[in-house]
Amino acid sequence: MKLSAIKPIGRVLARELAVTALLLLGVSVVVFAILYAAPGDPLDVLLGGQSPRSELALGMREALGVPRTWYGQYAAWFGKMLEGNFGNSIRTGLPVLPELARVGVNTLYLTLGSLLLTLAIALPIAVHAAAHGDTAGNTAATVVAYVLSAVPVFWFGYIVVYVFIHRLGMFPLISGTAGRQPHAWLYFLVPIFVLGTASGTLSEMIRHLREELSRVLAEDYIRTARAKGAAVWRHAFKEGFLIPVTEIMSAKIPFLLGGAVIVEQVFNWPGMGRMAWQAAQDRDYPVIMGIALAAAAFVRLGNLLQRVVFTAVNPRASRE
Amino acid sequence: MTAMRMRRYVQAPGPVGEISELPLLQRAETLDRVYVGYGLLVVALVFASYLLGAFGWLPHDPQAMNVGLINAAPLTPGHPLGTDFLGRDLQSRLILGIQAYFLPGLLAVAISLVGGSVLGILAGYQGGWADTVVTYFDNLLDSFPRLVLILLVIAAFKPDIYYIMVVVGVTGMPVIANLIAGKIAFLRQKSFIEAAHALGLPARTVILKHILWYNCRALLVIQATLGMAEAILVETSLSYLGFGVQEPTPSWGNMVQAGANYFLQGNFWPSTAPALAILATILGFQLLGDGLNNILEGKRRR
Amino acid sequence: MEDAVLSLSKEPLLSIENLRTYFYSRAKRAFVRSVDGASLAVARGETLGVVGESGSGKTVTAHSAAGLVTGSPGVIGGSIRFDSRNLLDGLERYVKVDERDGRVMAVEKDERGWREHAETLMRGVRGKEIAMIFQNPRAALNPYSTVGAQLVETIRLHTGAKGQREARERALHWLERVRIDSPRLRFDNFPFGMSGGMCQRAMIAMALCAEPSLLIADEPTTGLDATIQSRIVDLLARLKAETGITTLLISHDISVIQRLSDRVAVMYGGTVVETGRAADVLAPQAPARHPYTAGLLASIPSAETIRTKSYLQDIEGDVLDTIDVPRGCRFYGRCSRVTEAIRERCANLEPPLGEVAPGRRVRCWLHVKQETPA
Repeated sequence: MKLSAIKPIGRVLARELAVTALLLLGVSVVVFAILYAAPGDPLDVLLGGQSPRSELALGMREALGVPRTWYGQYAAWFGKMLEGNFGNSIRTGLPVLPELARVGVNTLYLTLGSLLLTLAIALPIAVHAAAHGDTAGNTAATVVAYVLSAVPVFWFGYIVVYVFIHRLGMFPLISGTAGRQPHAWLYFLVPIFVLGTASGTLSEMIRHLREELSRVLAEDYIRTARAKGAAVWRHAFKEGFLIPVTEIMSAKIPFLLGGAVIVEQVFNWPGMGRMAWQAAQDRDYPVIMGIALAAAAFVRLGNLLQRVVFTAVNPRASRE
Repeated sequence: MTAMRMRRYVQAPGPVGEISELPLLQRAETLDRVYVGYGLLVVALVFASYLLGAFGWLPHDPQAMNVGLINAAPLTPGHPLGTDFLGRDLQSRLILGIQAYFLPGLLAVAISLVGGSVLGILAGYQGGWADTVVTYFDNLLDSFPRLVLILLVIAAFKPDIYYIMVVVGVTGMPVIANLIAGKIAFLRQKSFIEAAHALGLPARTVILKHILWYNCRALLVIQATLGMAEAILVETSLSYLGFGVQEPTPSWGNMVQAGANYFLQGNFWPSTAPALAILATILGFQLLGDGLNNILEGKRRR
Repeated sequence: MEDAVLSLSKEPLLSIENLRTYFYSRAKRAFVRSVDGASLAVARGETLGVVGESGSGKTVTAHSAAGLVTGSPGVIGGSIRFDSRNLLDGLERYVKVDERDGRVMAVEKDERGWREHAETLMRGVRGKEIAMIFQNPRAALNPYSTVGAQLVETIRLHTGAKGQREARERALHWLERVRIDSPRLRFDNFPFGMSGGMCQRAMIAMALCAEPSLLIADEPTTGLDATIQSRIVDLLARLKAETGITTLLISHDISVIQRLSDRVAVMYGGTVVETGRAADVLAPQAPARHPYTAGLLASIPSAETIRTKSYLQDIEGDVLDTIDVPRGCRFYGRCSRVTEAIRERCANLEPPLGEVAPGRRVRCWLHVKQETPA
């Protein structure tokens, strides 16, 4: 990229950033709306006893000028969040944000690792199919991918765990003690393997990557590249590989986060997913709200990164 | 020289003009036919089982515990699918388990289709600001992992499967809205919409009859099957996690969960039977959707 | 190559013989016989213009010569001799053709094997000795890469240029040679910011910068504005005079063919129906001429028709659908010059491409004597 191109790219990126911010705002509104509309008084918990529904202190509140309207509530709640105050867990009493950050990392590992694994399985099949059309090999692989995408990930997890315990003599379940076992690092890989294989996104990944690559390979400019004896993959790389891969990765992050919730149950993995499950059981509003926001933020971040890659690669995008 | 992979092309005898273009079904590739065939079989079985369960015409009482016949293997006389760790007939439990997702799934699909169509038409037909708003709304919905949003709703409201399916339905709207808006853009590019207006057709007719029915119905059917697959996945995952249908009422998800401990001790079947049911069913809906997609929406293959 | 003198050595630089390129339509379960026995020859230094309507097989012929056919089954027979090498050498090992009544009804081909084999044959030839330019130049250039980068790629691949700096110099030199405006600016431009004419100039530069022996130009003016078309033709004419490069020019535009070609080949229905010197084939009056050529020329405005204010005539009927190829002469259904004496022959026997004058061949029973069986 030349220097003269930086300014317009900067404009486009600023716009992407603004869109992301607006979406995150919308996310917060949605979460707030759910909590506001809920029976019981979730907001009371979040606002430290300053929700208007607590009729008891109503009179006192009015005198103190505490917000009663929904937008006032929203502002108060949002303001607290900006300060980093996500409330405290009803169950443990601990502040939510630090806890989230602590366990969130584990979920991040799980999600990203699985994403990469699914990609690693999908890519060779998609590339082969795009380059050589339907062969016995890649048709069989596609069918297997379909089956894998329909396998309930929790059951698959049990199979893998069983194999590990009874056939391989390893005990990956309780991660706390895993550290003292030999090959401790392997235990991190097991949930990733399970989620990466059975996340349900495999067949779609193959389809998207294959379709895009096939489409690009049929383009005129690839034919020109062939005609001049140039390496086709070099020309097809940006539009046929880089962009579709980042697209599908960013699109599937929400699915993998959902899968992480389940996998963390199976493996008792200390992550956001297990936390969310616990919170839903206990109706622990601050925690579940924080997780929803964190998950949405992560999704949007992934999307933003993908847009950045797209803008960087696409000359037309930076010159609007 | 490596082994040759010969492909054979045969021209059918007789003048070509007569054959012209073969009807869709005949042109479909074998694999797609298999997909659709299997999918239809699954749909029929599910529907039939739903009816059986709804009317209570089950071979055994799904709650009846038969201590003498614990963990019977499949094909035991009287229990073609065996029994679980409490001696309960698995076949009856599996059939009854369909109740947990059938109607709720239909609800989710209905919401997605209707809501998604409305949004898609607004965005595509109206264009301009409507398009921006709908796109924003779509991106907003897509920002949440479905399961996390559902857990939030469960925490806030009650874990009722119908509430949850509303969430599933709503989160399924963006996909459909996108597809429909895309179809409209395509039709617009072909001047189809212009022509319809020029003919003096009222907007409502253009939208309902021409756009939706003539051009989008295949797409909607396909998304309905895929949406159902999604709904089943959500319901089974939730009941696995302990929300949704509670023991002793069977749901495929909670059956897998209940059998989990026994699985790890070597008794696979009580967990595996429902898991295979989930696998076969979701696979059926997905293959049906993808097969139909290949046949109807004309995917080009080499 | 910088030699401005046309040299006509004995051996043609490119000689296509009996080329057959078929595609299979699953929907109709029949072969699309795009090129069904085409033979051409291009002598060194000359420009052969291949003219015909869409569907005549001229583009597929050009693509077959450059090894760019990707459809199934693709090239199934014939030979393409380039500079004493057969670019289809070994094809028989990968293809089996079943004929019935002289018509191909089944084809078996190891496509992957043939593709790999063909790649090894074409390596070092494509881009370096045979260069190609296409229609719709903006789509034919990589939108993600600057024009300069694409030129430099070709230069570094196929010439002895050492290092980036020298390659860049050469690229700029060629951009100037194709008379592109502001070459230094265009070097860093992306194709989407350039007009069709400029993109075509860039593509010509990209093709010629490797100093190939053969240039295949596939409809170089199609998709461009009329005034730009004329400029591109001027450019090609000038480059041809400067470099003496051998060219295979494909176009449906007779005026383009006329301005640039030394010899002309007319294609119809997947075969060549007439060849000869441009002046002879395209002359207003010609003694022995294929009825299709006559029809083509009569349907375009020329000085003659303008002067005499005569009506333009179109050829009755539709262009031959290369799926349902008839027996006998392919043009029979539309020919207005059939006489009773030869009608039966025209309907049932395809005429060979016979020589009616030195260097002039026509595929028509009106002009070619049928060989009587011994």
